[in-house]
Amino acid sequence: MKNSILFLVLFLGTLLVSKFLPWWTIAPIAGVLTYSIKAKPAAGFSISLVAVFLAWLISIYIIDNGTVASLIGKLFQVSAFIAPLVAALFGGLLTGIFGLSGALLAPKKKTWINA
Amino acid sequence: MRKIFGLITLLTGLFMVYFLSTPQRISGKPIPPLGKLLNPYSGAWQNVEKVEDYTDFELKSEHITDEVRIVFDDRMVPHIFAQNLKDALFAQGYVEAYHRLFQMDLSTRSPSGTLSEVLGPNLLDYDKKQRRLGLSYAADNAVKGWAKFPEELKNIDAYTAGVNHYISSLSVADYPLEYKLLDFAPIEWTNRHSALLLKAMTQTLAGYEEDIEMGNALRILGEKDFNSIYPDRNVKDIPVTEGPYTKGITQNATELIRTNLPSIVRPRSPDGVGSNNWAISGSKSATGKPILANDPHLGLSLPSVWYEIAITTPEFSAQGVTLLGMPGIMIGFNQNIAWGETNVGHDVSDYHTIEWTDASKTAYMLDDKIVRATLKIETYTVKGEKESYDTVRYTHWGPVVEDETNLALRWIAHDEAPTPDFMAFVNGMQCDNYDDYLTATADFYAPAQNFLYADNNNEIGLRINGALPVKKYRQGVTISSGNKTSDGWLGIIPRDENPQERNPSRGYVSSANQYSATLDYPFYYNGNFEPYRGRTVHKYLTEKDTIDVTYVKMMQNSTFSMLAKEALSVMLPLLDSTNDLHAYAKGLKRWDFNYDANSLNPVRFDKWFTTFHQMLWDEIYTIQTNTALPNPDVWVTVNLIEKETNSTFYDIKSTPNVETLKQLINMSFMQVKDDTISPLSEEKNAQILHLTRLPAFSKTDIDIGGTKHSLNAMQQTFGPSWRMIVALGDTPEAYGTYPGGQSGNPASPFYSNKIAVWAKGEYDRLILSSTPESISKSLFTISITNEK
Repeated sequence: MKNSILFLVLFLGTLLVSKFLPWWTIAPIAGVLTYSIKAKPAAGFSISLVAVFLAWLISIYIIDNGTVASLIGKLFQVSAFIAPLVAALFGGLLTGIFGLSGALLAPKKKTWINA
Repeated sequence: MRKIFGLITLLTGLFMVYFLSTPQRISGKPIPPLGKLLNPYSGAWQNVEKVEDYTDFELKSEHITDEVRIVFDDRMVPHIFAQNLKDALFAQGYVEAYHRLFQMDLSTRSPSGTLSEVLGPNLLDYDKKQRRLGLSYAADNAVKGWAKFPEELKNIDAYTAGVNHYISSLSVADYPLEYKLLDFAPIEWTNRHSALLLKAMTQTLAGYEEDIEMGNALRILGEKDFNSIYPDRNVKDIPVTEGPYTKGITQNATELIRTNLPSIVRPRSPDGVGSNNWAISGSKSATGKPILANDPHLGLSLPSVWYEIAITTPEFSAQGVTLLGMPGIMIGFNQNIAWGETNVGHDVSDYHTIEWTDASKTAYMLDDKIVRATLKIETYTVKGEKESYDTVRYTHWGPVVEDETNLALRWIAHDEAPTPDFMAFVNGMQCDNYDDYLTATADFYAPAQNFLYADNNNEIGLRINGALPVKKYRQGVTISSGNKTSDGWLGIIPRDENPQERNPSRGYVSSANQYSATLDYPFYYNGNFEPYRGRTVHKYLTEKDTIDVTYVKMMQNSTFSMLAKEALSVMLPLLDSTNDLHAYAKGLKRWDFNYDANSLNPVRFDKWFTTFHQMLWDEIYTIQTNTALPNPDVWVTVNLIEKETNSTFYDIKSTPNVETLKQLINMSFMQVKDDTISPLSEEKNAQILHLTRLPAFSKTDIDIGGTKHSLNAMQQTFGPSWRMIVALGDTPEAYGTYPGGQSGNPASPFYSNKIAVWAKGEYDRLILSSTPESISKSLFTISITNEK
């Protein structure tokens, strides 16, 4: 339940706030969230990563008609198909790392050791 | 332990934010800030342009007085409808920035020597050369001069305000793609930027001089051979204007200075810059009214060199193209007239010797007196590095371009124009008769152009507008003395005495960068003149009695080479019997001298002729590695072999034998006859590169014919940057085509959409629309109203 909420908040949060705040803002937000809800490190990392990866990827598919993907593909010598995935992975990984740090820095929950 | 891991990951995250937000270098290669660039919300993805997303929008500005509407037609050409000129120019500034902001920025950074500020230390050397040529100083002088015309200046102020209105509306997400990639931000536009653009134009078009190289050649060859290899005048040329002129002034000859100097390495007029224009009078035209054609040849680029625009006020309605950053229409037409320019190749750039009086080079001798030089410290902000400085010495003549050579540059580009030169294209587009047009364009100062004109009242004409120096005979062929102020130019030729023609009896006027006037023209000039295109225009225009638009289109696209025809008529008959039977020669014999894209013959001719030319001028080419010498012109070769069966130049100095012309022709043929060659378009590999040279934004492998000396002067990267034909009449029937598109955004469908049409030699119809409603297919409309 907690993880599903984390996913939804990050996914929707990315779509909503990124237009108005610096592009990296969602990453520290993920850190704060995983810290506050005392997420498990593995979950904190992977949920943050997947939520933002998907949000970015979907945004890119909505915004672009393939023209920018093809230009970026040519710039970085990757295929136009890969370009959005690589872009989304940058966002995902960055947020994942903040998610992980938040989870690691959060005060330990007893259940964590036993789990 | 867990906390330590937590801290390490947190630090890693913070580092990643920094790393992805700043440009990096990975194994020497620059990497853009990846997070900034690739995120969907402010990165490159935001630059996509979809036709279905174009929507009308409104702006408010305090700089305009009445409502302005800008309707973009289905080719993305803005049609500006304003109630007065200043409002129209505000809108022009706005749309040019809207479509081409990065191009405007970068192309003014080149003359101002500020490229390294945004592109990094690799460009510092280039920047220093630009400032040492005095381009930034020249722009300052221009702005100083403009201040003397406050009424005219309001027009350029309006344009500038329009550009800035667009810039200030931008958020980071809206920045043109290149800014995101190179990680810098647009800065405020000023009138000085327009001056810089004019200076960049002057550098490209009026940067010719070979003073040192010619002086070296004179020293090595002696006067007789020097005059044979580098003659002042091509006897076969048909000049732009035929006079008759009255020989007025007897000019004293300058004694040419012999030099032993290395070249001054600097950006100068590239080989291949040129243009054609011609206007046919009603008596020779199929429609009974004049037809005007113009195609400027420049270094092709993406975004395109030119921007199409239409401007309508209650007083006039004009359409055509302009270079980004200058108000008005440079090449175009209105309801009544059409106009266009080609470059004038006069040498307006001369080096003078400086005799310093002290070791630190702060003072020099002039008119037997010691004069202090002005020392200007140039500061360079370099991206990613600390500031750099350079001291440039300014003399009576101009800047000392290289401290080692002790030569100062006198260049027309540095002058403070005595006229509001920026108004030539603003006023020109509003005229409806030739007298007004002559008055309007007389203000133009540099780079001097052959301004061609035609109107529906059956007037045609051409005048050089621009400052041409009054020189002594042969002054400026080599370097000049700088000891006395009287060593300089004697003044500027009065505008009325510039070469010109009005309604000549031959029924047409034309220019293609050849000599400006017949030998009876009273003022001496030297320079860089194209030997074959001008004559080719005359050939086509005299061959046919009645000329229509189809014929003019054929002319603009003609790849016929008069050089090849004339050279081969001497070279082929001199081949010996074995060579004559070779497939290479057989091909050339059947050739029609057209540089067709899929033909092997132009490649065969180029290889053979180049080899022959270099063998013939061995006395030049063998020492060029050690000494800076000018390349002999191809027409000198052709004129020589047509006339002389015996010449001492035919001998190859390094062999014990004395070679003959026949031997040279056969030897050069043997050298190339078995080379593997591909058709012209493959050998040429025509390409249009983005201003950053990034392959992702460039177009390569363009299938196109043409050569430097054919009317379709398409080389690898230089060529016809705009072709326009206007048949005047009650309603002008106009056509235009250019290699690019209206938008400077590589992610726009209008970025390079016109290249294919242009490469095929096809045209778009240009329709003058005097009301917004008359534009049948529009993409969207911008309305601008006064803020109050």
